[in-house]
Amino acid sequence: MKVLAPIAAHEELEMLAAAGAEELYCGIVPREWLERYTGAVWLNRRSPKGGSLDSYAELKRLVDDAHKLHLPVFITLNSPYYTAEQIPLVLELAHKLSDEIGVDALIVTDINLLMRLSQEKLACELHVSSVAAVLNTEAIRFLLNFGPSRIILPRSVTLAEIATITRDVGQQVEIEVFMLNDGCAFEEGFCSTTHHHTVGAFCTSLSEMDTQFEWAGKSFTTRRQNWLRRNLTDYREWVWYVNGNGCGVTPKGLPYGPCGLCAVPDLQRMGVASLKIVGREASPFKKLASVKMVRDIVNRTRAGVPKLHVIERAKQLRESPEHCAAGFMCYYKVDESA
Amino acid sequence: MEWSLHIGGAHELASELWLSRFVEADRSQLTQPWSELAGRLLVTEFGDIRFTHCAFGNEFCEHLIPSVSALQTALTAAQQQQLSFTLLTPYVSNEGIAALRPLFERLAGNGGGEVVFNDWGVLNLLRRDFPTLIPIQGRLLNKSLRDPRVTPMYATAPAPSSALNVLQRSNLDCESYAALLTGLGVQTVETDNLPQGNDLSFAQYGLRIATYAPFGFISTSRICMAAGLHYRKADKFQPGAPCRHECQTHLLEYSYTNSPFGNRDQKFFLKGNSYFYAHTESMLHALFAQIRAGQIARLTWQPRLPMTVAH
Repeated sequence: MKVLAPIAAHEELEMLAAAGAEELYCGIVPREWLERYTGAVWLNRRSPKGGSLDSYAELKRLVDDAHKLHLPVFITLNSPYYTAEQIPLVLELAHKLSDEIGVDALIVTDINLLMRLSQEKLACELHVSSVAAVLNTEAIRFLLNFGPSRIILPRSVTLAEIATITRDVGQQVEIEVFMLNDGCAFEEGFCSTTHHHTVGAFCTSLSEMDTQFEWAGKSFTTRRQNWLRRNLTDYREWVWYVNGNGCGVTPKGLPYGPCGLCAVPDLQRMGVASLKIVGREASPFKKLASVKMVRDIVNRTRAGVPKLHVIERAKQLRESPEHCAAGFMCYYKVDESA
Repeated sequence: MEWSLHIGGAHELASELWLSRFVEADRSQLTQPWSELAGRLLVTEFGDIRFTHCAFGNEFCEHLIPSVSALQTALTAAQQQQLSFTLLTPYVSNEGIAALRPLFERLAGNGGGEVVFNDWGVLNLLRRDFPTLIPIQGRLLNKSLRDPRVTPMYATAPAPSSALNVLQRSNLDCESYAALLTGLGVQTVETDNLPQGNDLSFAQYGLRIATYAPFGFISTSRICMAAGLHYRKADKFQPGAPCRHECQTHLLEYSYTNSPFGNRDQKFFLKGNSYFYAHTESMLHALFAQIRAGQIARLTWQPRLPMTVAH
């Protein structure tokens, strides 16, 4: 079970490696793409104005130096789709990344791109992005036709579901799951909205809109109205948690946001291959703090520390017992008695 | 051109199946003006339409997968009305796959039919175990950006044509993808009528296009606001959590009052776990032009937000 960290610049490599990152992933948006499509059409799931490298030279240095530290580097090509005009550009980019720069895997969402890359005989491996919304074993069996070495499960897949999936296909393909930082109120692969800076994320934008309820019609009692409003308030609070506690940090600068630390012992037992820390666009400090936290818990789990002690340590590391207790900050509901 | 009716249950097939009968079937005061507008314009454009197909099931939530008995009742009613039958299915967990299997067995045992899949796992199951059923790629697997807050701006404001070109297309734009689908036995694909307009030129690759009116989907989640109503706060909003089908009565309309653009009168609807937009008059006219041009093979009329459950 590896710790997978985001990286957005060569200068972050040394500190992330020292903190315990065991795999790295990043994005790249070549200048030609930006010139052609502006900021409206993204090459990967992060805005080109943050979170992606923009030069092949820097990426090559990053990959070479990461390999010296025995860290593989994966690249996101995980836009939900590419048009016929874009596909040749993306295939050319994939060859460059794989054959010239030497990246270890490409992270792909679009089934068409996955199929095309599987035919290209690239040197690197293929990972299926969480944006592909792989929620069940049958979907993985379907995708195995295209030769991926890893499937990244969406955030919404529960511990019980992960256990079933790893049991069913864990011998055939690696399973990666979310561990820290970034939530999504929707099923990301089925959300057709943009996070473009002019409008912001749809989920958080909704929290500021005027609303009107119906409950089997527009007329209902004040009591029911209050009941519905309370639930909406709770939902908006949950969205705030999903959005990294309003993109906040603790007084010590540690990252808030969705977290799966308490589930690490269960995930290890299930045979999960990799734990993903989200946030290519985050500050170097947030990345560093995130890797340290996850690695601390992974080290204890690897050392055979009892599950309850690991959970206690995880909550201690988060330094926000009130948020842990809220129940809205967890990727996974952990049964502490199991 | 095929006209299909999305039914909530067999009872809706009890009498004459003219569109005009279903224009006012939406009992929600919030969404009814939109369905009435679309229905009225459709009748004006094409005359009163008699449905020849029906769709049954749900595209968005595995908690709304119908029971086998409800499916059988709907199948029987459709056969009595001599309607072709399409079963709609959602994205699913392994539990959802298990819930769909007996429905596919019943459908296959009743002479077959079409199944709209919105999950690759469902297609895999169909191909391996139910090869007589006809798979149709659902609109959730049609990966276009359909964010009505901003995409219409690209169609109206001075925007880079390369960006609009991408936004009006989808993953279906690639011939290689169309070849993959046809190789998998998929001849028909579903789309939504997009706020920024649709480029349907991918039909040249041999795929039939089916679409819906009068609502399009924006986003969906395994976490349901309405289901949270019956949980204590700390247990609310868990993925896939059991529910009491609160979505059957709960509806929330959002007004885009915080828009940075001029579209502050825009409405979005949350029904169950999914958000929808309603077709505007100009979007409907764009759709009508595509129907007239023979680009659309099937239109499925959804008389209400498509989140009904049939037991």
